[in-house]
Amino acid sequence: MSYITRTLGNIRKIGIKEYWHQLQYIGDTKAGVLMGTDKFGNKYYENNDELPLRTRWVDYAKHDFDPSQIEPLWHMWISYGTDKLPSEDLNAHTKRSWANPANTPNFTATRGAFKTYSTVKPKIQSWEPIAAPRQ
Amino acid sequence: MLASARTGASLALRAKPTAHLANLPVRVAAASISSSSRKDSTAAAVQAHGSSSAGGGLVKRERKEVPLPSQEGTKGVLQYALTTLDQITNWGRQSSLWPMTFGLACCAVEMMHLSTPRYDQDRLGIIFRASPRQSDVMIVAGTLTNKMAPALRQVYDQMPDPRWVISMGSCANGGGYYHYSYSVVRGCDRIVPVDVYVPGCPPTSEALMYGIFQLQRKMRNTKISRMWYRK
Repeated sequence: MSYITRTLGNIRKIGIKEYWHQLQYIGDTKAGVLMGTDKFGNKYYENNDELPLRTRWVDYAKHDFDPSQIEPLWHMWISYGTDKLPSEDLNAHTKRSWANPANTPNFTATRGAFKTYSTVKPKIQSWEPIAAPRQ
Repeated sequence: MLASARTGASLALRAKPTAHLANLPVRVAAASISSSSRKDSTAAAVQAHGSSSAGGGLVKRERKEVPLPSQEGTKGVLQYALTTLDQITNWGRQSSLWPMTFGLACCAVEMMHLSTPRYDQDRLGIIFRASPRQSDVMIVAGTLTNKMAPALRQVYDQMPDPRWVISMGSCANGGGYYHYSYSVVRGCDRIVPVDVYVPGCPPTSEALMYGIFQLQRKMRNTKISRMWYRK
Protein backbone atom coordinates (compact mmCIF):
# COMPACT_ATOMS: atom_id res chain seq x y z
CA MET A 1 0.00 0.00 0.00
CA SER A 2 2.67 2.43 -0.87
CA TYR A 3 1.21 4.27 -3.79
CA ILE A 4 2.05 7.90 -4.31
CA THR A 5 -1.25 9.37 -3.17
CA ARG A 6 -0.91 7.68 0.20
CA THR A 7 2.56 9.09 0.64
CA LEU A 8 1.46 12.56 -0.43
CA GLY A 9 -1.59 12.45 1.81
CA ASN A 10 0.52 11.38 4.77
CA ILE A 11 3.02 14.17 4.05
CA ARG A 12 0.13 16.61 4.14
CA LYS A 13 -0.90 15.24 7.52
CA ILE A 14 2.48 15.08 9.21
CA GLY A 15 4.47 17.82 7.53
CA ILE A 16 7.76 17.90 5.66
CA LYS A 17 9.95 17.80 8.77
CA GLU A 18 8.33 14.68 10.16
CA TYR A 19 8.38 13.15 6.68
CA TRP A 20 12.14 13.57 6.49
CA HIS A 21 12.54 12.23 10.02
CA GLN A 22 10.47 9.14 9.24
CA LEU A 23 12.42 8.54 6.06
CA GLN A 24 15.61 8.40 8.13
CA TYR A 25 14.26 5.96 10.66
CA ILE A 26 11.31 3.85 9.52
CA GLY A 27 11.81 4.35 5.79
CA ASP A 28 8.14 4.99 5.18
CA THR A 29 5.64 7.81 5.51
CA LYS A 30 3.00 7.13 8.09
CA ALA A 31 0.46 9.21 9.90
CA GLY A 32 -0.90 7.87 13.16
CA VAL A 33 -2.11 8.61 16.63
CA LEU A 34 0.51 8.93 19.34
CA MET A 35 -0.49 6.18 21.75
CA GLY A 36 2.14 6.79 24.37
CA THR A 37 5.75 7.25 25.31
CA ASP A 38 7.80 4.83 27.35
CA LYS A 39 10.33 5.78 29.98
CA PHE A 40 13.15 5.92 27.45
CA GLY A 41 11.29 8.46 25.33
CA ASN A 42 10.36 6.13 22.48
CA LYS A 43 7.09 7.20 20.94
CA TYR A 44 4.48 4.64 19.90
CA TYR A 45 2.00 5.28 17.12
CA GLU A 46 -1.00 3.47 15.78
CA ASN A 47 -3.07 3.80 12.65
CA ASN A 48 -5.49 0.97 11.97
CA ASP A 49 -6.01 2.01 8.36
CA GLU A 50 -2.58 0.65 7.48
CA LEU A 51 -2.06 -2.89 6.27
CA PRO A 52 -2.36 -5.62 8.91
CA LEU A 53 0.79 -5.97 11.07
CA ARG A 54 1.99 -2.56 9.99
CA THR A 55 -0.49 -0.62 12.08
CA ARG A 56 1.77 -0.02 15.08
CA TRP A 57 5.20 1.49 14.95
CA VAL A 58 7.76 3.14 17.14
CA ASP A 59 9.77 6.30 16.81
CA TYR A 60 12.96 5.67 18.73
CA ALA A 61 14.40 8.27 21.04
CA LYS A 62 18.02 7.34 20.33
CA HIS A 63 19.72 7.82 17.02
CA ASP A 64 21.51 4.49 17.38
CA PHE A 65 18.22 2.71 17.69
CA ASP A 66 17.65 -0.94 18.36
CA PRO A 67 14.46 -2.93 18.93
CA SER A 68 15.76 -4.05 22.31
CA GLN A 69 15.35 -0.48 23.57
CA ILE A 70 11.59 -0.99 23.57
CA GLU A 71 10.18 -1.46 27.04
CA PRO A 72 8.82 -4.99 27.68
CA LEU A 73 5.14 -4.09 28.00
CA TRP A 74 5.31 -1.84 24.98
CA HIS A 75 7.04 -4.67 23.15
CA MET A 76 4.02 -6.82 23.97
CA TRP A 77 1.78 -4.16 22.51
CA ILE A 78 3.79 -3.39 19.41
CA SER A 79 4.14 -7.06 18.49
CA TYR A 80 0.36 -7.53 18.76
CA GLY A 81 0.48 -9.63 21.91
CA THR A 82 -2.21 -7.45 23.44
CA ASP A 83 -4.47 -4.65 22.31
CA LYS A 84 -4.36 -2.89 25.66
CA LEU A 85 -1.83 -0.19 26.26
CA PRO A 86 0.68 -0.80 29.07
CA SER A 87 -1.06 1.86 31.17
CA GLU A 88 -4.34 -0.05 31.16
CA ASP A 89 -2.99 -3.59 30.89
CA LEU A 90 -3.69 -5.75 33.95
CA ASN A 91 -0.46 -7.65 33.33
CA ALA A 92 1.39 -4.47 34.10
CA HIS A 93 0.13 -4.50 37.67
CA THR A 94 0.98 -8.14 38.36
CA LYS A 95 3.81 -8.43 40.81
CA ARG A 96 6.71 -10.36 39.36
CA SER A 97 9.48 -10.54 41.89
CA TRP A 98 11.57 -12.76 39.65
CA ALA A 99 11.47 -10.42 36.69
CA ASN A 100 14.25 -7.97 36.05
CA PRO A 101 12.64 -4.54 36.53
CA ALA A 102 15.25 -2.84 34.36
CA ASN A 103 15.07 -3.25 30.62
CA THR A 104 18.50 -4.32 29.45
CA PRO A 105 19.21 -3.35 25.84
CA ASN A 106 21.38 -5.38 23.52
CA PHE A 107 25.02 -4.71 24.33
CA THR A 108 26.37 -6.14 21.09
CA ALA A 109 29.17 -4.01 19.61
CA THR A 110 29.59 -2.03 22.81
CA ARG A 111 31.88 -2.49 25.78
CA GLY A 112 29.18 -4.36 27.60
CA ALA A 113 29.14 -7.13 25.01
CA PHE A 114 29.39 -10.63 26.38
CA LYS A 115 32.77 -12.23 26.30
CA THR A 116 33.28 -15.83 27.17
CA TYR A 117 35.49 -16.61 30.08
CA SER A 118 36.61 -19.80 31.68
CA THR A 119 35.17 -20.84 34.99
CA VAL A 120 37.19 -24.01 35.35
CA LYS A 121 40.54 -24.10 37.02
CA PRO A 122 43.56 -24.07 34.70
CA LYS A 123 44.66 -27.45 33.43
CA ILE A 124 48.32 -26.59 33.81
CA GLN A 125 49.67 -26.28 37.31
CA SER A 126 53.13 -24.78 37.44
CA TRP A 127 55.29 -24.36 40.46
CA GLU A 128 57.53 -21.74 41.89
CA PRO A 129 61.01 -23.16 42.25
CA ILE A 130 62.34 -22.31 45.66
CA ALA A 131 66.06 -22.67 46.07
CA ALA A 132 67.49 -22.48 49.55
CA PRO A 133 70.14 -19.76 49.73
CA ARG A 134 73.70 -20.96 50.12
CA GLN A 135 75.08 -20.85 53.52
CA MET B 1 73.14 -14.92 42.44
CA LEU B 2 71.87 -17.38 39.91
CA ALA B 3 69.03 -18.33 42.19
CA SER B 4 67.93 -14.77 42.66
CA ALA B 5 68.01 -14.12 38.92
CA ARG B 6 65.88 -17.18 38.40
CA THR B 7 63.36 -16.03 40.94
CA GLY B 8 63.24 -12.65 39.28
CA ALA B 9 62.64 -14.17 35.88
CA SER B 10 59.99 -16.49 37.16
CA LEU B 11 58.33 -13.65 39.00
CA ALA B 12 58.27 -11.64 35.80
CA LEU B 13 56.71 -14.55 34.00
CA ARG B 14 54.22 -15.16 36.73
CA ALA B 15 50.99 -13.25 36.86
CA LYS B 16 50.98 -11.51 40.20
CA PRO B 17 47.74 -10.79 42.01
CA THR B 18 49.17 -7.44 43.06
CA ALA B 19 49.63 -6.48 39.41
CA HIS B 20 45.94 -7.06 38.86
CA LEU B 21 45.06 -4.82 41.75
CA ALA B 22 47.30 -2.15 40.29
CA ASN B 23 45.47 -2.49 36.99
CA LEU B 24 42.11 -1.95 38.54
CA PRO B 25 42.00 1.88 38.66
CA VAL B 26 42.97 1.99 35.00
CA ARG B 27 40.11 -0.30 34.20
CA VAL B 28 37.66 1.76 36.22
CA ALA B 29 38.82 4.89 34.43
CA ALA B 30 38.33 3.18 31.12
CA ALA B 31 34.86 2.12 32.16
CA SER B 32 33.83 5.74 32.38
CA ILE B 33 34.15 6.12 28.62
CA SER B 34 32.17 2.96 28.17
CA SER B 35 28.67 3.36 26.85
CA SER B 36 27.26 0.64 29.02
CA SER B 37 26.90 -0.18 32.65
CA ARG B 38 27.62 -3.87 32.38
CA LYS B 39 31.31 -3.20 32.72
CA ASP B 40 31.56 -4.12 36.37
CA SER B 41 30.46 -7.70 35.85
CA THR B 42 32.99 -8.34 33.11
CA ALA B 43 35.71 -6.70 35.13
CA ALA B 44 34.82 -8.89 38.06
CA ALA B 45 34.90 -11.94 35.85
CA VAL B 46 38.32 -10.99 34.50
CA GLN B 47 39.59 -10.40 37.97
CA ALA B 48 38.24 -13.67 39.26
CA HIS B 49 39.87 -15.44 36.36
CA GLY B 50 43.12 -13.67 37.04
CA SER B 51 43.20 -14.63 40.67
CA SER B 52 42.41 -18.24 39.90
CA SER B 53 45.25 -18.46 37.42
CA ALA B 54 47.65 -16.46 39.56
CA GLY B 55 49.22 -19.64 40.85
CA GLY B 56 49.07 -21.11 37.39
CA GLY B 57 52.18 -19.33 36.19
CA LEU B 58 50.51 -18.09 33.00
CA VAL B 59 51.83 -14.87 31.53
CA LYS B 60 49.16 -12.20 31.71
CA ARG B 61 49.37 -9.36 29.27
CA GLU B 62 48.46 -5.98 30.67
CA ARG B 63 44.95 -4.97 29.75
CA LYS B 64 44.79 -2.06 27.35
CA GLU B 65 41.59 -0.14 26.76
CA VAL B 66 41.23 1.47 23.34
CA PRO B 67 38.05 3.36 22.42
CA LEU B 68 35.86 1.45 20.03
CA PRO B 69 35.50 2.91 16.53
CA SER B 70 31.90 3.74 17.40
CA GLN B 71 33.03 5.68 20.45
CA GLU B 72 35.39 7.99 18.61
CA GLY B 73 33.97 11.42 17.97
CA THR B 74 34.10 13.49 14.81
CA LYS B 75 36.88 16.06 14.60
CA GLY B 76 37.47 18.62 11.87
CA VAL B 77 35.61 19.68 8.76
CA LEU B 78 36.91 16.88 6.59
CA GLN B 79 35.77 14.21 9.03
CA TYR B 80 32.31 15.74 9.11
CA ALA B 81 32.18 15.71 5.30
CA LEU B 82 33.34 12.11 5.19
CA THR B 83 30.81 11.20 7.87
CA THR B 84 28.05 12.52 5.64
CA LEU B 85 29.41 10.51 2.72
CA ASP B 86 29.47 7.42 4.90
CA GLN B 87 25.94 8.03 6.08
CA ILE B 88 24.67 8.21 2.52
CA THR B 89 26.51 5.04 1.55
CA ASN B 90 25.37 3.21 4.65
CA TRP B 91 21.79 4.31 4.13
CA GLY B 92 21.93 2.88 0.62
CA ARG B 93 23.52 -0.32 1.79
CA GLN B 94 21.23 -1.02 4.68
CA SER B 95 18.06 -0.35 2.73
CA SER B 96 18.80 -2.77 -0.08
CA LEU B 97 20.17 -5.92 1.45
CA TRP B 98 20.13 -8.69 -1.07
CA PRO B 99 20.77 -11.96 0.67
CA MET B 100 22.29 -15.02 -0.89
CA THR B 101 20.12 -17.80 0.45
CA PHE B 102 22.23 -20.58 1.75
CA GLY B 103 19.42 -22.68 3.15
CA LEU B 104 20.84 -25.95 4.36
CA ALA B 105 18.29 -27.34 6.80
CA CYS B 106 15.17 -26.52 8.81
CA CYS B 107 16.40 -22.98 9.52
CA ALA B 108 15.81 -22.30 5.86
CA VAL B 109 12.08 -22.77 6.43
CA GLU B 110 12.13 -19.96 8.97
CA MET B 111 14.16 -17.91 6.53
CA MET B 112 11.45 -18.49 3.93
CA HIS B 113 8.85 -17.33 6.43
CA LEU B 114 10.65 -14.03 6.55
CA SER B 115 9.87 -13.46 2.92
CA THR B 116 6.20 -14.38 3.23
CA PRO B 117 3.54 -11.70 3.82
CA ARG B 118 3.50 -11.90 7.59
CA TYR B 119 7.04 -10.59 8.00
CA ASP B 120 7.41 -9.34 4.48
CA GLN B 121 11.08 -8.66 4.08
CA ASP B 122 10.48 -6.88 0.78
CA ARG B 123 9.39 -3.79 2.68
CA LEU B 124 12.91 -3.66 4.14
CA GLY B 125 14.41 -3.93 0.68
CA ILE B 126 15.51 -7.51 1.22
CA ILE B 127 15.18 -9.59 -1.91
CA PHE B 128 16.55 -13.11 -2.08
CA ARG B 129 18.95 -13.65 -4.92
CA ALA B 130 19.88 -17.02 -6.24
CA SER B 131 23.22 -15.82 -7.53
CA PRO B 132 26.14 -14.88 -5.31
CA ARG B 133 27.28 -12.28 -7.84
CA GLN B 134 24.23 -10.17 -7.09
CA SER B 135 24.07 -10.52 -3.34
CA ASP B 136 25.43 -8.61 -0.35
CA VAL B 137 24.56 -10.86 2.54
CA MET B 138 24.84 -14.59 2.89
CA ILE B 139 22.41 -16.14 5.36
CA VAL B 140 23.84 -19.50 6.32
CA ALA B 141 20.73 -21.27 7.53
CA GLY B 142 21.24 -24.77 8.79
CA THR B 143 23.78 -27.47 9.38
CA LEU B 144 26.96 -27.01 7.43
CA THR B 145 28.42 -30.38 6.61
CA ASN B 146 31.97 -31.11 5.63
CA LYS B 147 30.81 -31.94 2.14
CA MET B 148 29.05 -28.60 1.76
CA ALA B 149 31.85 -26.50 3.24
CA PRO B 150 33.91 -26.04 0.03
CA ALA B 151 30.75 -24.99 -1.80
CA LEU B 152 29.95 -22.48 0.92
CA ARG B 153 33.41 -20.99 0.72
CA GLN B 154 33.25 -20.82 -3.04
CA VAL B 155 29.91 -19.05 -2.96
CA TYR B 156 31.28 -16.62 -0.40
CA ASP B 157 34.31 -15.94 -2.58
CA GLN B 158 32.07 -15.24 -5.54
CA MET B 159 30.17 -12.53 -3.71
CA PRO B 160 31.30 -8.98 -4.50
CA ASP B 161 32.50 -6.65 -1.78
CA PRO B 162 31.04 -5.39 0.52
CA ARG B 163 29.64 -8.64 1.80
CA TRP B 164 28.29 -9.81 5.09
CA VAL B 165 27.43 -13.16 6.58
CA ILE B 166 24.60 -13.99 8.96
CA SER B 167 24.97 -17.31 10.69
CA MET B 168 21.51 -18.55 11.49
CA GLY B 169 20.75 -21.23 14.04
CA SER B 170 22.85 -23.22 16.44
CA CYS B 171 24.12 -25.60 13.76
CA ALA B 172 25.62 -22.79 11.75
CA ASN B 173 26.79 -21.00 14.88
CA GLY B 174 28.74 -23.82 16.40
CA GLY B 175 27.62 -27.19 15.18
CA GLY B 176 24.67 -27.25 17.55
CA TYR B 177 23.01 -30.60 17.86
CA TYR B 178 25.48 -32.15 15.42
CA HIS B 179 28.55 -30.73 17.12
CA TYR B 180 30.00 -34.18 17.74
CA SER B 181 29.08 -35.62 14.39
CA TYR B 182 31.86 -36.88 12.17
CA SER B 183 30.61 -35.05 9.14
CA VAL B 184 29.57 -31.61 10.36
CA VAL B 185 31.58 -28.39 10.47
CA ARG B 186 31.49 -27.06 14.02
CA GLY B 187 30.32 -23.62 13.11
CA CYS B 188 30.33 -21.89 9.74
CA ASP B 189 32.73 -19.30 11.15
CA ARG B 190 35.43 -21.90 10.54
CA ILE B 191 34.80 -21.40 6.83
CA VAL B 192 33.69 -17.79 6.39
CA PRO B 193 33.89 -14.66 8.60
CA VAL B 194 30.55 -14.14 10.30
CA ASP B 195 29.03 -10.76 11.18
CA VAL B 196 25.87 -11.70 13.04
CA TYR B 197 25.06 -14.89 14.89
CA VAL B 198 21.37 -15.63 15.33
CA PRO B 199 20.86 -18.15 18.14
CA GLY B 200 18.03 -20.65 18.22
CA CYS B 201 17.15 -24.10 17.00
CA PRO B 202 15.70 -22.98 14.66
CA PRO B 203 15.48 -19.25 15.33
CA THR B 204 12.10 -17.74 14.72
CA SER B 205 11.59 -15.45 11.77
CA GLU B 206 11.46 -12.58 14.24
CA ALA B 207 14.87 -13.60 15.53
CA LEU B 208 16.31 -13.63 12.03
CA MET B 209 14.72 -10.27 11.36
CA TYR B 210 16.28 -8.96 14.54
CA GLY B 211 19.61 -10.31 13.33
CA ILE B 212 19.11 -8.39 10.11
CA PHE B 213 18.38 -5.27 12.15
CA GLN B 214 21.60 -5.84 14.03
CA LEU B 215 23.45 -6.12 10.75
CA GLN B 216 21.87 -2.87 9.59
CA ARG B 217 22.98 -1.29 12.83
CA LYS B 218 26.49 -2.53 12.18
CA MET B 219 26.35 -1.05 8.69
CA ARG B 220 25.22 2.28 10.06
CA ASN B 221 28.27 2.41 12.27
CA THR B 222 30.70 1.43 9.52
CA LYS B 223 33.25 4.13 8.75
CA ILE B 224 34.02 3.49 5.12
CA SER B 225 35.61 6.66 3.79
CA ARG B 226 36.84 7.75 7.21
CA MET B 227 38.86 4.57 7.53
CA TRP B 228 40.14 5.04 4.02
CA TYR B 229 41.16 8.62 4.86
CA ARG B 230 42.93 7.50 8.00
CA LYS B 231 45.18 5.27 5.93
